[in-house]
Amino acid sequence: MALDPSMPVLVVDDYKTMIRIIRNLLKQLGFANVDEASDGTAALSMMREKDYGLIISDWNMEPMTGYELLREVRADDHLSRTPFIMVTAESKTDNVIAAKKAGVNNYIVKPFNAATLKSKIDAVFGDAS
Amino acid sequence: MGQVGGTKAKRSRPSRAVKAECSCRDTSIAAEITLLMNTLRELAAIRSTAEDAAARILDSAENLLTLADKEEAKKAEEAILSIMTACGFDDLVGQRVTKITETLDRVIATRLTGEEPGRTPTTMPQSEITLEGPGLPGAKHDQARIDALFRKKN
Repeated sequence: MALDPSMPVLVVDDYKTMIRIIRNLLKQLGFANVDEASDGTAALSMMREKDYGLIISDWNMEPMTGYELLREVRADDHLSRTPFIMVTAESKTDNVIAAKKAGVNNYIVKPFNAATLKSKIDAVFGDAS
Repeated sequence: MGQVGGTKAKRSRPSRAVKAECSCRDTSIAAEITLLMNTLRELAAIRSTAEDAAARILDSAENLLTLADKEEAKKAEEAILSIMTACGFDDLVGQRVTKITETLDRVIATRLTGEEPGRTPTTMPQSEITLEGPGLPGAKHDQARIDALFRKKN
């Protein structure tokens, strides 16, 4: 899948500030079609209504975490190929490996900068193309 | 309430000394719980202050990006984006405050009931994952280490 800045992107995080930061960074990268969800349950519901080209999700949320969302997405035939980047403060090696095994495309640890977000998005679509 | 000694079956009232000791202990525990509750309120205030500050900074940064003079805004873009990403402090402060709050909640519950409450760790069924939130400064949580994990073959 080629990188298309017009594709809808879904940002999932329970912190409004973080959503706002990521939205602004994506806007600077040319992504203007950005939706948001405050937890995995809301995100999954939105993903079943609309085709997203990229999911950027936090891990630690309730009632559904980003990890659980990732597993749900990968288990759904219609959603399973959706690129998924985890952006989280969770940095324990076991957790990173678990996310990788669950099929996350890339993993950004907070705090991060604009260059890191860009390089990880580029890497995801570069791998896919 | 402790029982006073005595071998007779007759029920005896607690002595004044015992009552004073029990009262002091109860007062001490009540004072401790009050202190812990006030600490929880302070933590909530920290989170609220951080959130407000981050929102104000983001407001200003967003306004800078939409400056009428696009050329000037472009020059400052890198700095503005750096300011924006730094506002992520609010998220990390909130997560650390949550960890502290959960610990204090457990301490308060223990003090109130006198027994260790059942823990509700953030564990996932079907997996061994436990969430830790932000690592401590100095801990190895850098992006480079995680990138290396991703480059490893499964």
